[in-house]
Amino acid sequence: MDTSLIVVGLVNVITLTNISLILGGTLLGLFVGAMPGLSATMALALLLPLTYNMDPASGLSMLAALYVGASYGGSISAILLRTPGTPSAAATVLDGYPLSRQGQAGRALGVSLFASFAGGLMSGLALLTVAPLLGVVVLEFGPVEMFAIAVLGITIIGSLAQGSMISGLLSGALGLLVSTVGMDFLTGTPRMTFGQINLFSGVEFVVALIGLFSIPQALRLIEKSNGAAKIASKIADRLIPSFRELKQLMPNILRSGCIGIIVGVIPGTGGDTASWFAYNEAKRFAKDKSRFGKGDIAGVAAPESANNAVVGGALIPTIALGIPGSSSTAILLGALMVQGILPGPNLLTDYGDVTYTLIWAVIFANVGLLLVGLMFTKACVSVTKVPDAFVACTIITLCIIGSFAINNSIFDVGLMLGFGLFGYWLSKAGVSPAPMVIGLILGPVMENSFHQSMLIGNHSFAVFLDSPIAIVLLFIATLSVFQATPLFGWIKTLRRQRPAKN
Amino acid sequence: MKLLSASILALAVATAPIAANAEYSAGDEITVLQGFKAGGGSDALAQLTQPFLTKLLGVDMVNQYIPGAAGAIAWTRLAKQSKQDGGTISITNTPMLMTNYIMNDAITYSLDELTPIANVVTDPGIIVVPSDSPFKTVEDLFAAAKKNPGRITVGNSGVGGDDFFSAIFVEQAADVKFRSVPFQGDGPSATAAMGGKIDASFNNLGNVYGHIEAGNLRALAIFTKERVDFLPDVPTLVEKDINVVAGSSRGYSAPAGIPEKAREELIAAFESLKENEEFKTIAKERALVLDIVTGDDYLQMMKSMETDYKKIWKEIKSDVAK
Repeated sequence: MDTSLIVVGLVNVITLTNISLILGGTLLGLFVGAMPGLSATMALALLLPLTYNMDPASGLSMLAALYVGASYGGSISAILLRTPGTPSAAATVLDGYPLSRQGQAGRALGVSLFASFAGGLMSGLALLTVAPLLGVVVLEFGPVEMFAIAVLGITIIGSLAQGSMISGLLSGALGLLVSTVGMDFLTGTPRMTFGQINLFSGVEFVVALIGLFSIPQALRLIEKSNGAAKIASKIADRLIPSFRELKQLMPNILRSGCIGIIVGVIPGTGGDTASWFAYNEAKRFAKDKSRFGKGDIAGVAAPESANNAVVGGALIPTIALGIPGSSSTAILLGALMVQGILPGPNLLTDYGDVTYTLIWAVIFANVGLLLVGLMFTKACVSVTKVPDAFVACTIITLCIIGSFAINNSIFDVGLMLGFGLFGYWLSKAGVSPAPMVIGLILGPVMENSFHQSMLIGNHSFAVFLDSPIAIVLLFIATLSVFQATPLFGWIKTLRRQRPAKN
Repeated sequence: MKLLSASILALAVATAPIAANAEYSAGDEITVLQGFKAGGGSDALAQLTQPFLTKLLGVDMVNQYIPGAAGAIAWTRLAKQSKQDGGTISITNTPMLMTNYIMNDAITYSLDELTPIANVVTDPGIIVVPSDSPFKTVEDLFAAAKKNPGRITVGNSGVGGDDFFSAIFVEQAADVKFRSVPFQGDGPSATAAMGGKIDASFNNLGNVYGHIEAGNLRALAIFTKERVDFLPDVPTLVEKDINVVAGSSRGYSAPAGIPEKAREELIAAFESLKENEEFKTIAKERALVLDIVTGDDYLQMMKSMETDYKKIWKEIKSDVAK
């Protein structure tokens, strides 16, 4: 591990500009997270173009802080409005809303804030220590290993995505298909460009991403906006939880934090999975299970600790291997790409200064979250009342500006809108766009490394069996595809039946 | 912010007291189209050159980034859609400028639609191998390639890039056959060589100099006419009777048909940079190898590249497309 890079990253973060960007990003994240309909992923997609002209350290600090802030912000509307502000706050509704009905909204929000802080800090430290361990083997990762990584990334993401596995894999495959547009890597021949020079370098993935994540959401908001006023509970009691209460909740918070980190590491799963997982575990460990669902404070602490811990966890594979652990980290990876940094195992070495800056930004953002959260949580109540139609229009405006800013190209704006409509249709069909975006990112990696492997290995597939790393990765990939087939279900039933026979 | 700071810098320099004779006849602002993203190699050239040009010509220079299609989107705009008044120029990267339209029929601009102003820097081509490679000299590499035709793997920065073509020039001149493995840029190609994933990498000096100094890579030969100052022990290919001089060059061009006076003023500005010690010092600090070629000589440089690359692409096109 190169300690000098860790220090460089730390120094990069501790500047007036970056600290204020982190605080600003956290605050913005808080508002965005609190606003039902705006997810962390979408906020990142919308803000990404803002960072193009910032230096990498500042841009990444802001985005990381936004991600952290939004992960907590979701709980505000979950507790006050019974509407999760972000998908990952859905589990918080179960006990958070009953608490606020009982006049304990402040207590619920305070615990949510401290749990988020603790979970996030844990995952930041995990990121700082674990990612470099994975990163030292960088030079071992040649084309053969990169191919295996890309295959693994796409299969896992496809099979673990929200909704059915088949639709997840379908969405991933669509992403791969779109990634083939552009100049052929081996021959320089343009493919599926229809003579359109703007498509020669392929579909800019940020353009697709802005369209796929933001436009469908804006359209959905318009669809369901009927002018009815939202009713939010008031915060009557104090926000800062007592020391005794925190001490009592600590085992729960730590356990949930670990769950969040581990779930985050697995590519394709994110805060939503982790928070339900942590909620169930909290319930399982609780002495009095009957209180859950009626306003048990542990039911708020667990999901909130977990969904903030996902941030650091999901960044581990993103940074160490270049595989995004969630759709939000896919965008952070995009932010790195915008700065001319190609995703891959050398993020921690060649681009170590930038990467460590990102890691430190996550840690500092959690501290910032605690401060910003204490000051502004009450203000967020008003944000939850902004009419949906207004939010939708703002989203669409930002989408257009953002997609234009990438290449100063009107063509890209059209492309973004096209992807937006396609994404809307996909969401109506119950297909999640996240695997598609990850397919878009990993597609070129997969194709190029496959060609390179074939050239290096003298056109023999045996080249993949020469590398132990590749064998292991491809084996796991096969398993995860296997898991999506009915075959896996039969094995499960067989195993369940066996003890019954005895 | 980069664009902003560049223009603030430009403004600051422009408003500073300047020599009275420095007035550009075609206006007080020049837009510079860049075919690549901010922060890349073209931007590095802009940061080096434009503060000086601003002072010499008494103009503001505004960078406009139009990345895509290996620069072709910006160059198509320069050739076909820009005003021919001397108010718009572009950073032109060779051989990319020519190989774009040689390799793709859909890219339709040509040299006739451009007014080459000046080449400024050339990053020379270089062959590097892993530090533990059995190849100690370029002769070792060629001998191995002769023994096992098409089995020695050499990386390049991508099909159509200068390294891709220089590998072919070397193959023809030395009568050997490599297996070319394209990567997405010089960086990944160098990394693959460091990890021993490929036998050698055809790269550019500026990208691998740090790794050569650090002992991660060994340089076998450089594609310049004479040996370069900072790597005195690395032989040129010309010394080995292989007549290949190649690299990745960047300069400035305007659309065809700009006023003759504006053209002369621009060329004079670049000519004066040749003798500017401050300019030379800054270029050296940033590890940019100056290669200032102006006006008709720059056109000639492009024309001869166009002929060479057209010929070679015709010969290898069917192999590549296989």
